[in-house]
Amino acid sequence: MSHTRFLVKLAIVMATALAGTATLAQQDVKIADPTSVVMIVNRDSNDLAFMDIKTNKIIGRVFLGNNVNPHMVMMSPDGRYVVTGGTRANKAYIVDVRTLKLVKVINVDIAPEHLAFSPDSRWYYQGNPEGDSISVIDMQSLTKIKTIPGFAEPLNVTFTADGSKAYIGNYGAHWIGVVDVRRHELLKKIQIKEVPGVAILDPDKYLGEVHGINIAMFGPDGRYLYAADGDLGFVGVIDSREDKVVKTIKVGKDPWRIYMSHDGKYGITPNNGDQTISIIDLKANRVAATLEAGQNMTGVNFAAGKAFVISSTSGFVYVYDMNSLRPAGRIRIGLNIQLETATTDTQDQKIYLADSTENAIVIIDAKTQKFEKITENVGLFPWGTHIMDSKDNYCH
Amino acid sequence: MVLRQRLSARLTAVILAAAFAVPTGVSAEPQAQGAASSVNGRVTDMAGAVLPNAEVSLVPIVPAMPGMKMTPPPPIVGRVNNDGSFVVNQVPAGQYVLQVDAPGYGRSSQEVTVPTTQTFNVKLEVLEIPGAEAAGAEAAAKPEQADAQAMQQRINELEQRVRDLEASTVYSLPETRTRRTTVYIDKNSNIYDKPTPGAKKTTTYQRERVYRRQSIDEKIQSALEDQSKNSVQVGVSAAIAPQAVFQTKGEKTDADRHAYQLSSADLFFTARIAQHTVFFADVVGLSGPPPDLETGGLTLLNGFTARLVRQNELNLREAWLRTEVFSQKLSLVAGRLDLTNYFDHNAAANDETRQFLSDALVNNPALNLAVNGSGFAAIYDPKNGFNFKVGIQQSKTDALNLSQSMYSLGEVGYVARPKGLGEGNYRVWYRTDNSIDRNRTGYGASLDQKLGVQQVTWFGRYGSAQADIRRDHFYSGGLQFSNGAGFNPGDVWGVGYAHYDTGLGPKERLMEGYYNFQISEKFRLSFHLAHVLEKRPGQQTVGYLIPGLRLQAAF
Repeated sequence: MSHTRFLVKLAIVMATALAGTATLAQQDVKIADPTSVVMIVNRDSNDLAFMDIKTNKIIGRVFLGNNVNPHMVMMSPDGRYVVTGGTRANKAYIVDVRTLKLVKVINVDIAPEHLAFSPDSRWYYQGNPEGDSISVIDMQSLTKIKTIPGFAEPLNVTFTADGSKAYIGNYGAHWIGVVDVRRHELLKKIQIKEVPGVAILDPDKYLGEVHGINIAMFGPDGRYLYAADGDLGFVGVIDSREDKVVKTIKVGKDPWRIYMSHDGKYGITPNNGDQTISIIDLKANRVAATLEAGQNMTGVNFAAGKAFVISSTSGFVYVYDMNSLRPAGRIRIGLNIQLETATTDTQDQKIYLADSTENAIVIIDAKTQKFEKITENVGLFPWGTHIMDSKDNYCH
Repeated sequence: MVLRQRLSARLTAVILAAAFAVPTGVSAEPQAQGAASSVNGRVTDMAGAVLPNAEVSLVPIVPAMPGMKMTPPPPIVGRVNNDGSFVVNQVPAGQYVLQVDAPGYGRSSQEVTVPTTQTFNVKLEVLEIPGAEAAGAEAAAKPEQADAQAMQQRINELEQRVRDLEASTVYSLPETRTRRTTVYIDKNSNIYDKPTPGAKKTTTYQRERVYRRQSIDEKIQSALEDQSKNSVQVGVSAAIAPQAVFQTKGEKTDADRHAYQLSSADLFFTARIAQHTVFFADVVGLSGPPPDLETGGLTLLNGFTARLVRQNELNLREAWLRTEVFSQKLSLVAGRLDLTNYFDHNAAANDETRQFLSDALVNNPALNLAVNGSGFAAIYDPKNGFNFKVGIQQSKTDALNLSQSMYSLGEVGYVARPKGLGEGNYRVWYRTDNSIDRNRTGYGASLDQKLGVQQVTWFGRYGSAQADIRRDHFYSGGLQFSNGAGFNPGDVWGVGYAHYDTGLGPKERLMEGYYNFQISEKFRLSFHLAHVLEKRPGQQTVGYLIPGLRLQAAF
């Protein structure tokens, strides 16, 4: 009997010790719920900061290395990894979300900026605008398996819902690349509209710096893509089943790209050439309104039935009522500041805007249009923000 | 006794099994079902040195779909032994990602299917984080691995140097910039970063250095932008507008079958002089006769000469200072002004350099602003669709003081969206003018409304002004086609009609159509065809057909 008691005591002691080990392991988990944080990419402190959505406190930070200058941050759809491209290090950085540890650094091509994950989280496509290529990273082996060449300043990647194809916006050209994701090969180039013949008389514009296609975005049905061409001032509508342009829509001058409203009714192009926005009715595929906006627009977020258009160098966010399609004021964020890009929470209530010159994150209440600035411990020159499952995750 | 011993042994086994089962249950919630088995292998660095205590995790693979909110499943975790081997037991059958982590090393990650008989030999690479103090320190501290790792590190460094050189030439010194910061200063001028009792909040400016690597291109671009901000910007707008006049009605006049050509050059100077404060000057020179000197109509057939009288010499059209206050909602402009630049600003019929050439389709004669002059304008625009404007300006060049010939104007504007139509701008205005003998008033309205298709804009104006006898009445309207409604995407064309009845009796009816080709961003060519009927009391109505060209360069 005493032997049995000894064994019971021994078992309890061992169980307690092992349970203690498990508790320690749990303490290593920095983020248990990947939807609970706003990720902030800090260009000049070369790190990623993680802000708790409930408390607005920075709860973690991952330093990537001096002179990395990360550009865009994104979480994998399965919530396991956060990745970023180090523009001046020519590397991709992979961070484990649970532990907030930098677990892998992968050499990519020149000046990696924007990126995307395949819907199944398997493939991480890193665009390298100065390398004119896409680096394909296998997120299971955490290795670069291929570099797809042949692009011209590839800026953004959009996967189809089934993950079979990816559409690459080429800002240094007037076409969209279609990539076969099974083979990671460039299948096709789609030009949304011919460059007008009169372009030969305007070498300053057409032989100067090209403002081509930033991104192709899916409309609400997941079949048609919309892509704006900056120099041409048109949005092309592409049928992804046949990969052909079915319509072109004239918008304002030098549209930056298109952003889709969350209800699927409208797309907005900020037109930096004439400081307007064009609101496109996605059902009729025509411009429903052209409204005055600000200078150097870098992004559009949707929340509380409104569109919030970021005017980078003016320090304003312009607001539009998406029901009446009329202007609804503008929010002055600050003086002599530069605003970058923003993400919207999954409830469509708050917008998290990177205010780079103030090293701050501005949280805008979409309903009241009031805001608060989070400055403590954010990092230097926040360049962009990201929330898992947000419908407004983008970069510039 | 034997039975008791057997029972005791079984009880012991059950208790121990239960004890070990507790943490396993805590750390792993395998998704796959089936018999559990083990995964084993060995972990070393690239040089073959073992990495004891490295963490081995088996992460169940769960298909993810876009937009699906999910928390990733916890992994089954094990540790590497002192000899470099590892065994992860009790792994249910299924698909996993086997990942191995060690401080200072990059993660190894690979897909495995359990059960498996494979022994996994994992090699970890050193993870370099330039500038990070602790990175790799633990690995480097082990003497038995030091030589191999130092060599590997050196190779990695050299590879990185080559990659950097291949990538681009970069400006690699730390970036320096000045930031505006809030600090707290006490009575001894001691500075605190956070609120401190007895310290006053104040603003200061301080240099900060960051590790930002800029390419030479970026550096040059940044320097040019800085220089541009601090210098006076010069813009040029030049136009040549040949026109011909063919009389179509009435007694023959001097203008019939005559050709005219007006050349115009505007020099704009813009300088940013303070926060939200700009200085602007527009010097214009005109040369060549417009047809108006011989046709003598109520309104000008060439709008370039509006509010300018002297030919072949430079005129100061405008020179003003503008500042913006109250979160830039209120703009204040003072100096020599052309108030028509701020009021009755019709989007489709307001610009003689791009749209109609006839002044009756550029301005509203009921505004009756004869010349530019010293004045002041305030524009309140909260960007919510409403805007309010007031302005006052001297409208006579030979006035002796500011109380003479004062012209004042107020306007309310609204962005509307009538059902079934696009957006439209609607304005109403009211003005007073004491430049002749007594205070005369006028009022009017102006609209530009996008129709169902954004390419077509309907515009209209109405104005009524006190005259010597009765009132002057004016209205105009027309359509503008743009946004891809022409041969080239940047082309604009339009048709318009203007109707002007003066209180004194003379009347004018004018029609104009134009097509404006955008040849380049800086160069436009437009063709115009206008027909005007001038009727004066007691005289025959005179009609003219006026074809014209306009070459417009702006940069």
